[in-house]
Amino acid sequence: MTETTTDRSAAVAPRIEVATGQRAVEFDALPSKLSVRGLDFFYGKEQALFGNTLEIKEKRVTAIIGPSGCGKSTHIRTFNRIYELYRNQRATGEIWFDGRNILASGTDLLDLRRRIGMIFQKPSPFPMTVFDNIAYGLRLHFKLSRSELADHVEDALKRAALWDEVKHKLKEPGLALSGGQQQRLSIARAIAAEPEVILMDEPCSAIDPVATAKIEELIAQLSSAYTIVIVTHNMQQAARVSDYTAFFFEGRIVEAGLTTQIFENPQRKQTEDYITGRFS
Amino acid sequence: MSADTMPGPLSAVPLRPRSVARRRVVDRLVTSLAWLAAAFGVFIMGWIVVTVVGRGIGAINWAFFTQSPPAGADLGGGLGPCIVGTIVLTGFAAVIGIPIGFFGAVYLSEFGRTGRIATAIRTITNVVLGVPSIIAGLFAYAILVKPLHHYSGFAGSVALAFIMLPVMTRAAEDVLNLVPNELRESALAMGAPRWRATLGVIVRSARAGLITSTILAVVRVAGETAPLLFTALSSPYWLNGLFGPSGFFGGPVANLTKTIYDYSTSPYQHLQQLAWGGALVIIVAVLGTNVLVRLVFQRGK
Ligand SMILES: Nc1ncnc2c1ncn2[C@@H]1O[C@H](COP(=O)(O)OP(=O)(O)O)[C@@H](O)[C@H]1O
Ligand SMILES: [Mg+2]
Repeated sequence: MTETTTDRSAAVAPRIEVATGQRAVEFDALPSKLSVRGLDFFYGKEQALFGNTLEIKEKRVTAIIGPSGCGKSTHIRTFNRIYELYRNQRATGEIWFDGRNILASGTDLLDLRRRIGMIFQKPSPFPMTVFDNIAYGLRLHFKLSRSELADHVEDALKRAALWDEVKHKLKEPGLALSGGQQQRLSIARAIAAEPEVILMDEPCSAIDPVATAKIEELIAQLSSAYTIVIVTHNMQQAARVSDYTAFFFEGRIVEAGLTTQIFENPQRKQTEDYITGRFS
Repeated sequence: MSADTMPGPLSAVPLRPRSVARRRVVDRLVTSLAWLAAAFGVFIMGWIVVTVVGRGIGAINWAFFTQSPPAGADLGGGLGPCIVGTIVLTGFAAVIGIPIGFFGAVYLSEFGRTGRIATAIRTITNVVLGVPSIIAGLFAYAILVKPLHHYSGFAGSVALAFIMLPVMTRAAEDVLNLVPNELRESALAMGAPRWRATLGVIVRSARAGLITSTILAVVRVAGETAPLLFTALSSPYWLNGLFGPSGFFGGPVANLTKTIYDYSTSPYQHLQQLAWGGALVIIVAVLGTNVLVRLVFQRGK
């Protein structure tokens, strides 16, 4: 059992052995925030991920791309173990996060989810005011006085580039904001809990191009302070926002490495076909 | 489906269009049938309302709401105690039935889901939902009236709660199931414990629907008669205290439905008149609440 897993991960291990100088060296030298080793995932008896291995670099943006149904969402949903909401879903393998395997039993899920925040495809404001949306995570995880709470809410909204647009609407329901604002509200809400990693599952696929541009800009700003993993089906977006890219196909990581490398000089035929739009 | 099996415009097989005229006729037919069925339902409902209003309006005056039923063959009086009694019986049934139904629904939709226990509870709920209401009365009779050797309002409320419970559970579960999974995941992804995500986000986002379910479940039992036949019975007296002979726990409690049943079969004209008045009050309260709740909570949905 363990043997096959190691074998498989070795076969698919995304080691890019091209010497394009400086940046390729940087890829290996940078510390990893998350290290995935031999990750298998099952929906009931149906296997969706096959022995995947991946490094997520600290304070960098990693894009996960690949055709629909290839396991992108499944993969990032293991990082905060949100899949456990559903009783027939199961992950095996290892995901190392600060010296701990988060898939091991005994992981404090509440703290894990504070440290690894998640933004979903559909903006999902909580049914409460803009202020309370942001305060939600703060109240969950920290003891704060009223004024400290207000300060942190303001700070999170500023970091999510939303403060100027909502500072007079703090008492309005979060649902009253526009779609793009709602998505940045979700980002601000995640940021407020002081996470280290932010997962985004196709965060722009339900919003318009202008709002998308704002979020991409925001991702660039946030990447100096947070490790970001973004799933996207939009390759231009991956190329624009990410430092690293992992290309998934049918539950396996075909290729992963520097975004420039993946897009300009893919090592595998499948990657090249996908990048050049030969299938999608 | 791959490109070469897809019948495109260049396909060798010619595409025969379906008859537009035929589709239009079928469409008209089905639409008219649906309309006719709806109209029939509205017509029957309207007939009942018109009859009850026509016959009952004459009984409605100040005394009807404030006085007790007349003794013997006396004229005058009202159904004051019955109105109060029905409100108390229904209210206490709600105190028992609504919280249990609510938490049951939360369990089914948020925790049990497709598990074996949840499936069993759901099946039982559906069975109880189909149980004739007189069985609810017999049940309360067997567990409360028989052992304690006296009828009581409390037993009546328990019987009503027995009917209210599955109605509330089903309705509230349906409402909670409408909450998108993404909202559940978002709350949990913030690091919220399960119970906090449930009460603070999921229940909150479904609150309008839950209030509607609650009110409709309560109103649903307000018009029940059968569960009260062997439990609260009825009485011409005002509800008085808790444990005395006319107290909630101590003896029969006046109520509208059983009184309507008794008076409508009475030979006295004025008692029959009071029964029609009682029917009018119930129908206005039940229909009015239904319409009001739907207007207030379902706007814009
Ligand atoms: N809830 C689920 N139950 C069963 N299979 C699922 C479920 N969600 C996704 N899958 C399957 O897992 C595979 C990967 O899905 P997903 O991770 O959602 O793909 P992506 O995000 O790349 O579009 C697909 O084959 C999909 O059919
Ligand atoms: Mg997906």
